[in-house]
Amino acid sequence: MNTNLKISNVTKIYPGCVANDDVSLEFNSGKIYALLGENGAGKSTLVKILSGVVIPDEGKIYLNKNILKLNSPSDAKKNDIGMVFQHFNLFETLSVFENLIIDSDEQRENLKEKIDTIMKKYNFSVDLDVPVLNLSAGQKQKVEIIRCLIRSPKVLIMDEPTSVLTEQETSELFLSLKKFSEEGILIIYITHKLKEVMQLCDEVAVMRRGKLVSVSQINNENIESLANKMVGQDLKTIKKKKENTSSEQLIIITNLNFTSEDPFETNLVDINFSLNRGECLGIAGISGNGQSELFQVLSGEIISNKNSIEFNKNFIGNLNPQERREYLMAFSPEDRLEQAAIPQMAIFENVALNNFKSSNFFNNGLINESKIKEHSKKIISEFNVNTDNIDLKSQFLSGGNLQKLIIGRELITSPDLLICFNPTWGLDVGAINYIHETLIKINEQNKSIILISTDTDELLKLSDKISVIHRGKLSKIMNAEDVTSEKLGILMGGGN
Amino acid sequence: MIKIVKRDQPSKAIFFFTPVLAIFLTLIAGGIIFYILGFKPFEALKFFFIVPIADKYGFSELLLKATPLCLIAIGLSFCFKSNNWNIGAEGQLTFGAIVSGGVALLFYDQEGFYILPIVILAGAIGGMIYASIPAILKTYFNTNEILVSLMLVYVSKLILDYLVVGPWSNPEGFNFPETRQFSDSARLPLLFEGLRIHAGIFLALAAVVISWFVFYKTYLGFQMKVSGFSLKTAKYAGYKGKKMIILVFLISGACAGLAGVGEITGPIGQLHREVSPDYGFTAIIVAFLGRLHPVGIIFASLVVAITYLGAETAQIFMQIPKYTGQVFQGMILFFLLASDYLLFFKFKLIGSKK
Repeated sequence: MNTNLKISNVTKIYPGCVANDDVSLEFNSGKIYALLGENGAGKSTLVKILSGVVIPDEGKIYLNKNILKLNSPSDAKKNDIGMVFQHFNLFETLSVFENLIIDSDEQRENLKEKIDTIMKKYNFSVDLDVPVLNLSAGQKQKVEIIRCLIRSPKVLIMDEPTSVLTEQETSELFLSLKKFSEEGILIIYITHKLKEVMQLCDEVAVMRRGKLVSVSQINNENIESLANKMVGQDLKTIKKKKENTSSEQLIIITNLNFTSEDPFETNLVDINFSLNRGECLGIAGISGNGQSELFQVLSGEIISNKNSIEFNKNFIGNLNPQERREYLMAFSPEDRLEQAAIPQMAIFENVALNNFKSSNFFNNGLINESKIKEHSKKIISEFNVNTDNIDLKSQFLSGGNLQKLIIGRELITSPDLLICFNPTWGLDVGAINYIHETLIKINEQNKSIILISTDTDELLKLSDKISVIHRGKLSKIMNAEDVTSEKLGILMGGGN
Repeated sequence: MIKIVKRDQPSKAIFFFTPVLAIFLTLIAGGIIFYILGFKPFEALKFFFIVPIADKYGFSELLLKATPLCLIAIGLSFCFKSNNWNIGAEGQLTFGAIVSGGVALLFYDQEGFYILPIVILAGAIGGMIYASIPAILKTYFNTNEILVSLMLVYVSKLILDYLVVGPWSNPEGFNFPETRQFSDSARLPLLFEGLRIHAGIFLALAAVVISWFVFYKTYLGFQMKVSGFSLKTAKYAGYKGKKMIILVFLISGACAGLAGVGEITGPIGQLHREVSPDYGFTAIIVAFLGRLHPVGIIFASLVVAITYLGAETAQIFMQIPKYTGQVFQGMILFFLLASDYLLFFKFKLIGSKK
């Protein structure tokens, strides 16, 4: 039986961001479809709409010409849409069998039979009686897939399924997916990995900034053309004027490693680079490839070997952020509301988070409120934060104004190096421009920047040197003039 | 139709209103319970909440009970404000009482102005030692402070039990599970002839003033506030997280230890099996009912202290078990947590269209 899934003019708007902008797509069973895009391109939102987690503002979804009402995940299940998420939704302490039957009202015996048949048919070998926590990532994923297959789905959506798999597990997964497809299950495969698309899929839809950019047969594409579409051909490579940067090295990173105990974090492997005064080093990459860990290691939230970071001829790898600030480093983390600032606190209190000895915010352990307030007023006027009330809780500032406050707080002490992570994420165009101008300005004052960003546009615009982080490894450092968006796209996807 | 809507921001007025609402709801629910038990609700509530504090003696008893509650709750608010969940104040109180009691027993046949300060200091140190165990285990071995501090409560009670029955029991005490009486120099002075309220109340008031100053005027208070809102931000700002965890546990242990000193060197004047009717646990309710604010904690400790007295009065006059007091304490916490829902949501009347 042929299955036809149609997405028609779907739009979803979040405050300050259009996640899906009038997206229309059609899928037919018998083929494997790839949905390709950078982080924030709108893939996840579209998938969440298909699985009933998010309800679109506009647009309709049809399954075999019938309108689907997807108001909750259970509606999606009822309509035979199965979904395997990137992070597993399994009960670790329950056995595999218990996990498989937990959301089903069928009889245990029937289910057991069904599961056995599925496992035999697709050559899955998972022990049903062991607790899920003893399984490898690949096996856990099989459990999730079996859970979908029990319901004999018409559509199976896989959200970045290979991010936790080994090479071997990945090729096993691909074989199974091809088998499912031959049996008439419509497969939608979400990814940002170009190689996988070329290997597995028949048709590819590319999304960028909430819009559907192209739909094409895989035979008409290659890695370069897809990378181009994913990153955006229409980028103008506006680069800042090349100033005569000095050749004095400001920061040297040598053999920096970080091994995490958290399986959802990325290990950093042998990071080496150096940066001169007045330069901006851009670090590109698809999010989740170690950017957050790299930021924390550079800022001192994660402490490393003393000699691995040399800054201004001092070895500072073992210092915490506050101690690093005394050496004139400044940091602007990715998460404005949960890390860089505290929304429930007043503006001036947030200013006091960046505390230098010489700023005298705290004398002998006491808060010097007038000093902090004076300093806050200076930041607000110098960095165009649109308010004059420093007692205001910072939750009432718009994203752009809050980011100006944060960048201002970090820059007003004129640090030698600013490390920022997605500084313009989720901001409107005006604020983005302001932040970009500010960053260019501090380069011109012979100060350096390390810009970790998932926005390729931004990186090409601001960087003098660019490197790409992929699975915790940094590519070699390239001069920004020699870099094209295609090249970045390929490196970000793990190519060479 | 009434619809529940999320508030744009938590309301400041509601923040201080919900504790009052919780107390009100507790009274209503208490009245209903009394009614079901076959008492006249209003009369029973009067016995519970008004009769006990109607005279001078009752009022002194109220302050006597409120003193340890307030002192411990102030200490706990240092922990709670900075995202550390010390729920073992009862154990820290007990251990503080053991150490200060031990010191007081050393001086049992001596008099001297220097004895009382040493005894008080010993109690504070005892509480700090005991609180440092969950703190150190948390910072260096990643254990959960809730479990460790809670379980240590029972350890401390068993140690106390062993001591008052065994090595420290009064040689002339006919095998009663209690120690010798402390000398008068090791006792906190009573404030009024014939009333039991003692100088320990000044320790509580001092704690209130000091904590207010620390919370709102010092760098430590600022760091605690930041850590309470977001540990990620505290890390980013570069605060020394481990140092702070240990410090707030020590402060809160010292306060609980001092409360223990008050219990044994006040009206009783000896160590015995039950130094505290669960003040350490009840103080958790006090801390939250008082919104972790020093002034709020004063009021909350008075309100909760009444439930101790009321339970005793009710037992005498109405022949119901004194554990009713714990029922009321439980209800206060229950209703407080429930009414905190109003901090983030509000009810909205919607006219029925259609």
